[in-house]
This record gives sequence, C-alpha cells and structure tokens, in this order.
Amino acid sequence: MTSADFTLVLPEVILAVFAMGALLFGVYGGKDKTAPILTWTTAGLMVALGAWIGLSGEGSGSAFGGMIVNDGFARFAKVTVLLSAAAVILMSESYMERHGLLRFEYPLIIALATVGMMVMVSAADLMTLYMGLELQSLSLYVVASLRRDSVKSTEAGLKYFVLGALSSGLLLYGASLVYGFAGTTLFAGIIEVAGEGEISLGLLFGLVFLITGLAFKVSAVPFHMWTPDVYEGSPTPVTAFFAAAPKMAAMGLLARVLFDAFGGVSAEWSQVLALLSLVSMFLGAIAAIGQRNIKRLMAYSSIAHMGFALMGLAAGTVAGVQAMLIYMVIYVTMNVGTFAFILSMERDGQPVTDIDSLRQFSKTEPLKALAVLVLMFSLAGVPPLVSFFGKFYVLTAAVDAGLAWLAIAGVIASVIGAFYYLRIVYFMYFGDEGEGVQSAMSPVAWVCLMASAGIMVLGVINLFGVGGAAMAAASALVN
Amino acid sequence: MVGLENYLAVAAGLFVIGVFGLFLNRKNVIILLMSIELMLLAVNINMVAFSSYLGDLVGQIFTMFILTVAAAEAAIGLAILVCFFRNRGTIDVEDVNVMKG
Amino acid sequence: MSVADFAFYVFAVTTLAGGLFTVVSRNPVHSVLWLILAFISAAGLFILLGAEFVAMLLVIVYVGAVAVLFLFVVMMLDVDFAELKGEMVQYMPLGLLIGVIILLELGMAIGVWQFADLAPELRQAVAPDPQEVQNTAALGRLIYDDYILLFQLAGLVLLVAMIGAIVLTLRHRPYIKRQDVLAQMYRDPAKALELKDVKPGQGL
Repeated sequence: MTSADFTLVLPEVILAVFAMGALLFGVYGGKDKTAPILTWTTAGLMVALGAWIGLSGEGSGSAFGGMIVNDGFARFAKVTVLLSAAAVILMSESYMERHGLLRFEYPLIIALATVGMMVMVSAADLMTLYMGLELQSLSLYVVASLRRDSVKSTEAGLKYFVLGALSSGLLLYGASLVYGFAGTTLFAGIIEVAGEGEISLGLLFGLVFLITGLAFKVSAVPFHMWTPDVYEGSPTPVTAFFAAAPKMAAMGLLARVLFDAFGGVSAEWSQVLALLSLVSMFLGAIAAIGQRNIKRLMAYSSIAHMGFALMGLAAGTVAGVQAMLIYMVIYVTMNVGTFAFILSMERDGQPVTDIDSLRQFSKTEPLKALAVLVLMFSLAGVPPLVSFFGKFYVLTAAVDAGLAWLAIAGVIASVIGAFYYLRIVYFMYFGDEGEGVQSAMSPVAWVCLMASAGIMVLGVINLFGVGGAAMAAASALVN
Repeated sequence: MVGLENYLAVAAGLFVIGVFGLFLNRKNVIILLMSIELMLLAVNINMVAFSSYLGDLVGQIFTMFILTVAAAEAAIGLAILVCFFRNRGTIDVEDVNVMKG
Repeated sequence: MSVADFAFYVFAVTTLAGGLFTVVSRNPVHSVLWLILAFISAAGLFILLGAEFVAMLLVIVYVGAVAVLFLFVVMMLDVDFAELKGEMVQYMPLGLLIGVIILLELGMAIGVWQFADLAPELRQAVAPDPQEVQNTAALGRLIYDDYILLFQLAGLVLLVAMIGAIVLTLRHRPYIKRQDVLAQMYRDPAKALELKDVKPGQGL
C-alpha cells in the first residue's frame, strides 16, 4: 500500500476522519448542545471538499489494485453529492431545532452516508460497490427512523430497512453469479469476459439480479413501493436528503456498473432499462395525481424523474450519460429548493404537509409563492426553464439511440405529470380561502429556495457550464 | 468429489426459501429479518463454492465482508424494530394503517 | 460414495431443512433455533470446500452474536406471535408459486456451470497450496494488504451500526438508580459509619 493509493481517496478519508473526530467532540463536548456547530462544520467541510474535487484537475487514476477509480464521472457525481448534502443539512437545521430533532449524531451519520456515496460513484469492483452502498444504506435506515418516538417515522425506517436489505440480498446474489462466471470482481475484468461473444446464461442472471437490486435503490417501478411511505413517514429534513444526494449516487452507481462492467453487452440491458424507465415515468405521473400530501407527491415525482434519468442511461451512449448527469443535477437543485419550502410549511408551530393548506398562499407571501411557482413549473418541465432543457437533452439522446417510442412516451408522461405540479400553483394563486399556512423560514432555507428558483430561470443561458462538465464526465465513463 | 453445481443448487434452494419466507411472513418482521439472513447465507455459499472451484480467495474475502455488513445490518434492523415496538406495541407491519400504500 | 460426499449431502439437507423450518415454524424461538442449525450446517459445507476461516466466522460471529441477538429481541419484545401467524396460509400459494418459478429459472442458469474462458487468468488472488500457506494466513495476508480499503470501510459500516443502535434505542432515565463505582470505592468508613455508645438497659 503506497501513499499514492490513499492520496486518491483523500477526500473520503478526510470526511470519515472528521466524522469520527466530531463524534468524540459531540460525546465529550456537551452532546446535543454541539449539534448546531457540528452541522455547520460538516456542511462547511462538504462544501470545501466539493470545491476541491471540482477544481482538482482532469485525468483519471485508480488505486488499491483498481478497486476504486477517480475519473471525471466520479468527480462530477461527488461534487453534486457533496454540495446537495451540505445544502440540505444546512437548510434543515432550524427545522430540526424547532421540532426537537437536532441531535448531534445527525450530521455525523449524514457525513458517513456521504462517504458511502462517494465510494459508490467511484467503485470499480463489486466489493467496493457493495461496501459503499451498505455504508450509505445503513446510515439512511437510521436517519429515516430518527424521530424514534413517532410511529410513522419508525415504520418508515422499518419498511425502508426490510426492502433495502432485500434489495441488497438480490444485488449480492447477482454479484456472486458474476464473480463465479468471470473469476474476478473487478469491473475491468468483468468487461473483458462479458465482451467475448455470446453472453452466458449465468452472467445474464447475475446482471439481472444486479439491475434489480440497484433499481430498488433508485426507486424505479416496479421496485418503488417503499418510496412514498418512506418519504411521507421520515422527518421532513431526512426526506429532503433522500430526494437529493442518494438519488444522484445510486444513479451514478448504476451507470458505473452498466458501462464499466457490462459496457460490452449494452444490448442486453438497454431494453430492460427502457422498460423500467417507461413504467416509472407513467406510474410516477399518474399515481401522484391522487396525492394530497406534498411529501408523498414529491415521492411520486421523484419516481417519474428517475424514469427520465433512466431513459438517458437506456440510450447507452455518451450523449445519453451526459443527458442523465445534467438531468440529475437539475433534479437535485429543484428538490433542494422545493424541500426548503416544504420544510417551512407550518401552522401554529406544527408542520403541515397537506397541499390544500397552500390555498391563497400568494396573498400572504408573494415572493416565496413566486419562487415556488418557478420550481413547480420547473419540475413539470415547462419551457423556458432549465429543466425543460434537461428533459430535452434526455429525449434527444433517446431518439438518437433509436428509442423514439420511449421518447414519445416520455413526452406524454410529462404532460400528464404537469397536471399535479400546476395544481399546486393553482391552489397558491387562485385557490379558495382556506385555513392557510405560515411559512417560517430560516435565512439559509430562504437562500436555498431563492437560489434554486433563480438557477431555474438564469441557468437557461448556459446551464452554468454544467453541460460541458457533464460531457467530460460522460466521455470518461463511456469508452 | 461433489460437483460445483451441487453447491450452487443448495445455495439456490436456500435463496428461494428466503424469498418464500418474505412472502409467507409478511406480518412478522422478525422472521422477515431471518429470511433476509437466509438469503445472505445462500449468497455466501455461492461465493465460497465459486472461490473454492476457481482456486481464488476473493470469494472468501467477499464472504467475510458480507458477514460483517450483515451483522451490522441485523443490529440496525433490530434497533429499528425495538423502536417500532415501543411506539406501537406490536411488530405487525400490515396492521399499521398509519400510512396508506 | 466417499465420506466427503456423504458429509456434503448431510450438510446440504440439514441446511435446507433448517432454512425451510426457519420460515414456516410457528414459534419464533424455534425459528431462531432452526436458523442456527442452518448456519452450522452451512459452516460444515464451507469446511468441505476448504474455507475453514469463513466457517469459523460463521459459527462464532453468526451463531454466537447475530442469532443470539435475534433470540434476545424475540424474548425481549413481548409479542403475541400466534396472532401474527394467522394469515400465513393465505400467502402460501403465491409464495410457493413464486419460489418454484425462481428455482426453475435459477436451475436453468446453474444446471451446468461454465466459467468464462478468461476466468483463470483474471483471478486476483490465486489460492496458495493449503499445505504451504493455511487458509487463515492466506486470507490475512490479503485482507490487511490488498483489501485494506474495504477493511476500513467495513470498520465505518460497523461504526454506523453502533451509532445507529445507540441513537435509536438509548434512553436516559433519570429516575433509575445507577451504580457509581467511584462513589462506592471512595466511600470512607469514617463518614459512612457512626458509632454510638449504647448504654446498657437504655437503648437508643
């Protein structure tokens, strides 16, 4: 083990060591009283690491015998994960403080989950993939049931845990078959074996189990059933976190496995992904219509958006991966903004998640209502907002890859999906007089909401250069 | 010498029993967790069998990590279960109609 | 049939039987015991495959810790299990159907297993001759060297499990009397005892 190996994973090492040091500080330094300062330092460190990774040169390298790589794709995904995680924990700090959830372990568990996500997106070996994934998943099970005296929160944690453990089991069974066939767990070895002519039945089964396990993690239909319950039951700050960073990490991991290990047999998996994408888009769009709880609604919205991102992967081309990355960055940004608002919804000091309570919101808070309007239009993909271009890239990539039928279905699904986003806007501006809702927002959350809405409008000029970075990342992944 | 396929068959059987257990015990979370443990055991048998017949130690290393993670997973799962039981007084997941599916 | 073959069939049958009774038995304590049987027989299979260390781990870590943890929880939570079992029959046909389908499909894949042509070359850690380097020593050399990264990640996973279990279940109950060892040790007879000179016939 040379120091070069550890240099490659230095950001992960720093974050993990920080988490351990902060744990000691928290335990001996006054328990939950240290929570605010730990939240701020964790977020600060994540932003610093994100900036460092983002600005640290180009090229790619691998370490530990090729088990972990650091290339453009990994850096792109890591920056997205780190920045969104930092934004979410900062904007939820005041909510957690008001509702007695601010425990000093929370930022630490989030930091460790982030380490897991960083490992996931740079994994180049089935074992690294598994360890990263489990580090992330176990942390998320804990935070889902963080409000331990609430039936809803613990039930959400329990459901998430059982289905997550099941998906890990399926994934592992697939991994064992792949290992048994290829004789190696390194992606570089698997792609050599998978590329040689006809794909063997054993490897195919391995691939199917792997995709099934990962489809659970990105909550693609038909493996989505945990999502609405977990989104609704978890404390809102945790839901906000679920909707952002882990989605990016899971999508990055799926892309890495498919292209790095099974790039030679893309014909085998692109049909499967196209099907997952199709059903996710439609189920997400249709099932959300009946939802009255904004957290459940966001769960179905995330399912539909994951369907779109999967369409980019199904294309199996550089343009497809680029489109997926751009789409995910836009999705994460929109979600951070939307949840900054959802966190602030309350009435008489109690959190409210009913969309009916938003009636006439524009009368009391015109500026926030305007920001939410922009975000809702953006989630719906209305031109000329940024997310329209995100969808446009994905659709173009799908058409170019010969998946025109999927692209047409995607357009139909997003038209159906637009209905429920626009209904929220309708309630806010033209709804009947209702009980109303107050919006108690910390300055950080206000900045997140406004920045997110601002990006949706201003980003149309050049996407803030994300397009070019995503292009570089995608070409690093697809050879 | 028993062939590799025999070990794989045992593993496949155990895996299917695990999945079967998930369907059968939808109400009893403790047995759900045990079914998941059975699935992981099946994976481990697969890994060790491949490792042995390939003459490669990576499968056994993978098994060790799976065992470690499964132990951690069991700890967290049971912790969440204990919390749920304290709130609810039962471990029946279907009985809970707090959240409509 | 050689002794090894016979041992394989014994272990294989007990593993599967243990697994099956784990999921169908009516009493969860019995389930845990069947689970332990399955683990121990699987450890026997591992020994037949020449993986002694993993077999020991399975017995010590799994049976010793995880299965006992399950037992603790089963006994700690006072659950009315008879009630939970009521609807088991209802799910039986569907479960059996799905199980048989998966088994048939897996049978197709593993009926005759073929390694990839390249597999022997791609091996990352060729097993040394057990006569020269024992299984445990060989694994030790790998895990602390080539796989140090994963070893450290496993440490983080366990740390998360520890923090998680504490966050979720530790409750501070101020009204409970706890043992304070230091206070016990520093107890001074001069302060704790009071000698009274009781006069005969008077009492206190």
